Amino acid sequence: MNRPNPGGPRASSLVLPLLLLLAVAAPAGAADELPSHPDEIDYGELAFEPPVAADYRHVLSNGAVLYLLPDTALPLIDVAFSFSGGSYLDPVGKEGLAALTGAMMRRGGTTSLSPEAFDQKADFLAAEISAGMGDDAAQAGLNSITANFDDAFSLFMDMVRNPGYDAARFETLKAEVIEGMKQRNDNADGILRSEWSRLMYGESHFEARQGTLASIESIGLDDMRAFHGRIFQPGNLVVGITGDFEPEAMIARLESAFAGWEAGERAPTPPAPDHDFTPGVYFVEKEIPQGKVAIGMRGLTRDHPDSTTLRVMNLILGGGGFTSRITNKVRTEEGLAYSAGSMMRPSYHYPGEFQAFFQSKSSTCALATKLILDEIDRIRAEPVSAEELDVAKASVIETFPRAFESKKAVRDLFVSEEWRPHVEGFFEGYRDRVRAITVEDIQRVAREHLDPAEMMIVLVGDWSEISPGDLDGRAKMADFFDGEATELPLRDPLTLEPIGP
Amino acid sequence: MRNTIRGALLGLILVTSAGGQQVQPDVFTLDNGMKFLLLPRTDQPNSIAAGWIAKVGSVNERPGITGISHFFEHMMFKGTTTVGTSDAARDAELTARQNEVRGRIRALHLGPQYERFRAGEIADPWDPANDTDEMRELREQLRGIQDEQREITRKNEFDQIYTRLGGSGMNAFTSHDLTFYFINVPSNKLELWTWMESDRLTDSVFREFFEERDVVHEERRMRTESTPTGIYQEQFDALFWQSSPYSWPVIGWPSDLNSYTREQAEAYYETYYAPNNLCGVVVGDFDLEEAKTLITRYFSRLERREPPPPVITLEMPQLAEKRMTVTCDCPPQVEVRYPSVPFGHADEAAIEMMGEILNGRTGRLYRSLVEDQQLATSAGVRQDSRKYAGAFSFRGECQGEATPEMVEAAWYEQLARLQEEPVAPEELQKVKNQILADTYRRLETNFNLLLQLGYYEALGGWEYINTYSKEMAAVEAEDILRVAKEYFAPEKRSVAIYYRNDGAPEDPLAGFPAQIRPMLQQFVEGLPAMTADQLEEALTQLQANRGQAPAEFQGALDFMLEKASARLDELQEGGE
Repeated sequence: MNRPNPGGPRASSLVLPLLLLLAVAAPAGAADELPSHPDEIDYGELAFEPPVAADYRHVLSNGAVLYLLPDTALPLIDVAFSFSGGSYLDPVGKEGLAALTGAMMRRGGTTSLSPEAFDQKADFLAAEISAGMGDDAAQAGLNSITANFDDAFSLFMDMVRNPGYDAARFETLKAEVIEGMKQRNDNADGILRSEWSRLMYGESHFEARQGTLASIESIGLDDMRAFHGRIFQPGNLVVGITGDFEPEAMIARLESAFAGWEAGERAPTPPAPDHDFTPGVYFVEKEIPQGKVAIGMRGLTRDHPDSTTLRVMNLILGGGGFTSRITNKVRTEEGLAYSAGSMMRPSYHYPGEFQAFFQSKSSTCALATKLILDEIDRIRAEPVSAEELDVAKASVIETFPRAFESKKAVRDLFVSEEWRPHVEGFFEGYRDRVRAITVEDIQRVAREHLDPAEMMIVLVGDWSEISPGDLDGRAKMADFFDGEATELPLRDPLTLEPIGP
Repeated sequence: MRNTIRGALLGLILVTSAGGQQVQPDVFTLDNGMKFLLLPRTDQPNSIAAGWIAKVGSVNERPGITGISHFFEHMMFKGTTTVGTSDAARDAELTARQNEVRGRIRALHLGPQYERFRAGEIADPWDPANDTDEMRELREQLRGIQDEQREITRKNEFDQIYTRLGGSGMNAFTSHDLTFYFINVPSNKLELWTWMESDRLTDSVFREFFEERDVVHEERRMRTESTPTGIYQEQFDALFWQSSPYSWPVIGWPSDLNSYTREQAEAYYETYYAPNNLCGVVVGDFDLEEAKTLITRYFSRLERREPPPPVITLEMPQLAEKRMTVTCDCPPQVEVRYPSVPFGHADEAAIEMMGEILNGRTGRLYRSLVEDQQLATSAGVRQDSRKYAGAFSFRGECQGEATPEMVEAAWYEQLARLQEEPVAPEELQKVKNQILADTYRRLETNFNLLLQLGYYEALGGWEYINTYSKEMAAVEAEDILRVAKEYFAPEKRSVAIYYRNDGAPEDPLAGFPAQIRPMLQQFVEGLPAMTADQLEEALTQLQANRGQAPAEFQGALDFMLEKASARLDELQEGGE
């Protein structure tokens, strides 16, 4: 409060000469006083509203959806085709079909061009052409300089519509895939990922299924042709194009390139897992100097009302890098791991997962596990500090525009959102929903959706070194789940059958 | 610094020329010698990629402090007197006490523990399990001081400030020649970057020094020791580089990592983090004049210092082939590496072009080794142009039953072809077309541009981003022929052979000299096709030759005799 003090000296008589001095000195730069903290700087507002998909959306006459985002800064055009479908459609016994079909499209030539001729043409045009099929989507892409676009796009469309499935190229691809399979047990991170997925989703769910030598050998060219026909058709297609073009001309070009290309049925959505994991400690033996550890449980779908709050909770817990609790505790304070944190894996069609992770020398794996479980307990037991929540919320709000930072980023977002379950105003209202989150909300969602007793701890490493714990006796593996631990056998990389005792 | 449209500036930045799209940052140097490359562009509105490089990396180190450049990079995130503590004076006092205790522990390691190690009493002088009571006592004291300090430490406050003000993707990396610190900030936050970076360049405080060493040990375990080939690649580097400081890993040798002192780190900071050894790079949505004003205001507080000492030791010319053989949990593979040329060398473009002819789906290696001969699942080459020297490597992973030696031999065939016949005009043109298109593609993101400008500036000059494509466009078939002959003589190569450790007994051929192993392999593989008569004839010949063979081949002949007789026995048994 500003109260006059008639008895005291007038402040201005003392301060004014000083101010004058500073005013003279400042333009010279020498006595320029810098703000003592970044919070004292006036940054001004950065107005940003996310672009709206409907402003860029078109539907072609065969039903394919198209997003056009022209950008003439560089003489490049970038085309992305996204088809729904993926390895979740692999028939039992033919695991690997989706991946092989996607890879063969780019490698196998077309019905009128040999693979060699196709590759030579693409490379000579300096066109980047790609195709592939993942777990739940298939992609085909083209990046070309404007000057070569006509030829490059024709070549690209030939690949998308008329792939050649050259038999010799298929043999080479299979040899490569089999060589890759043989490496399955080489890397501890890879073993951890596979075992985690099997435990979390069940062996028969597509998130956990993997090809074997037998399943790859059972796949023939006709299997791929049929699979291609089912997935790579306009009824299943979203197109996104950015770069140096006129929208009207591009629409006309697509209409003519799509002529006679009949729309089929949309692929079904990926199935939810019908498996529940059993909480506990699981390990795979591998002689390495560092254990790799993952701790977690199932999470939420994006359209769950708590999903945004849970994301902010996770930023405080372990998803916010150096500003989050797990990283601070395990890495910065204790020096136990190079990377330690947690993530909420996004999911759309069925609940995703929460996973905390780290790698540490064998003797301190138990200690780091304990510290992480303690942090999960703490975020459930006590409200987070107002400062922690402010940092997490500010970070989400301030970095929100980065999701839309380039035309390509916006294009990719629109394309992938097209077939996801729609959440009304998800992007438009996102920052306001984050602003409204309170410390009580954080504690509530942590209590409702995280529970150490319901988690699994999965570990790959040298169990005999890991199990006794650290030299100072702060933690040992027997501290968790009453000392019960299940050894998971290493699997034969080609058959996936358990090997060893 | 509001978000205004500056499309008109675009014309100044991008000038098309014969070498493709050119990049013209505004070059701005402060009185203290710190250079800035400023590239305003509106392709990605609302966002700025900003960073700076220090021209220092593991090449500037020496035995005893290997890895300190990288460790130092970690320390740069620990804050300053303003950022990271609630009580700077007490923080300094606790740090001094820690140093004193740490100094005593270090002396005990390097003195008595090293002596016990040399005497064979302990296997590892740094293993805490081998600590003496005195050391345990000191560690206990140290923990007490660390706990005290933790109470006044604002943990990771440097990250926290950037995070809540919208910074993202903050990170840094260290290589042999440079250290790079970078971040993305919203376009109204350029002043934040200038505040934070000039603060840590004036006034860094190396907090959590000893805890962070443990973190780097874990990083080493993760990157080098727990990957299929990490420790062997490290050994191969040390085998390949003879006298050059490139022989040690960027992350450092573990003994050195254990023994850095705060004084050494501070001396390093003084020497190499002078503004005249740094360069800032800003790319994105900002106003050029405002940026210059901010940069001048904040970075002028850095004081110019003596230029850092030069790197003196040159790599010795290689006189004889070097070779190592590994069995590990890894795909069978081979690497063949040759000394080549450093960044900016007159032959660099021709060597790079030779690499482009070999690489890619329509390159010679894929077509020949992967498709036609089916020896490899992947095969490629890479020119590694460092600041003071360079290396050219071939790598191939085996396909099916092919051995690393077969892939190695196939590489020599490809090399011979490059040494004997000029590449075809359309092969050359294909690569040149791609390089021209890539001059546009590399401009697609601010961050990518930032990395390229900083990286090239650290190695010799940012202008390389423009001269590279021009020089590549000028390479002719004769140039490739010349460099293929000049740099790839057999005595110049270092070879690493990797076999898969499949739990099976050791490779029976592993003990034999490398040059006869392929022959032995062929012999063993050919046995099943031989008739009993042929086998008997072979046995007779082998026995006749045994007496005359040089001593080092005796073992090999015995091995062949043994295999041939065993096969003959098999055939005869089967026939009964």
